[in-house]
Amino acid sequence: MTSARTSVSTLPRGYELEPAQFSLPPERIDAYLLAVGDRNAYGNIVPPLAVVALALAELQEQVSLPEGSLHTAQEVEHLRTVRAGEMLTMRGRIAQRSERQGFVISVIELDVLAAEGESAVRARTTVLAPGGALGA
Amino acid sequence: MAPVTRTITQQQLLAYADASGDLNPIHVNEQFARTTMFGGTIAHGMLVLALIGEMMFAAHGEAWASRGKLKVRFKAPGRPGDTITASAQLTREDAGSGNVEYAVQCANAAGETVIEGRASIGSAA
Repeated sequence: MTSARTSVSTLPRGYELEPAQFSLPPERIDAYLLAVGDRNAYGNIVPPLAVVALALAELQEQVSLPEGSLHTAQEVEHLRTVRAGEMLTMRGRIAQRSERQGFVISVIELDVLAAEGESAVRARTTVLAPGGALGA
Repeated sequence: MAPVTRTITQQQLLAYADASGDLNPIHVNEQFARTTMFGGTIAHGMLVLALIGEMMFAAHGEAWASRGKLKVRFKAPGRPGDTITASAQLTREDAGSGNVEYAVQCANAAGETVIEGRASIGSAA
């Protein structure tokens, strides 16, 4: 993890990430499916959790998770089928932030947009991270 | 709905880290992970959650991919060597609209809940 990124535990509620485009070439989807061991016959359909995983990868280009961070909850809403080869845009924001016993609980909302601009997948990721000063 | 069972391996954690970009050392660095409260590496939550996604797509196909919803909590870590089973119980079905809702979970061989929550499929537009 590079120190140039901002730690999630220092981000305030309402913080908006920079939109980030990412592609879904078939080989990237195949690598995901191989890693999770999923042998379903998807054809050119991208599993929604693969979309979320790759969107979270884009998030982590901007936001670092401190050592000791834990993923504690996940919500996903599929709004339309995503297909291999599509170009998507990740938009994210810190929807909630609270502190408890030296840890910061952050809820990160992701909106993954298709090329036409409509939402394809929405997600809410809850992360528990060692505490950091706001704005640090 | 047919459950999905898989045994987690450290190699799988490394492959998922590569595929997902999540290189948190708790998943990929065994030396570091031994110093933590977990005493060893643990699987990415999204890696274990993928079993539920696999199960739902196997049962519902594109309906899941196009109008599914999932809401879960990660209750306990999955570890290399664990055999995890994803399963679902139908909790609501509306024949008219086609909406269905399930209680979903992933559990290890000891019966400990690793993930629990709800999955649903909304009606077609």
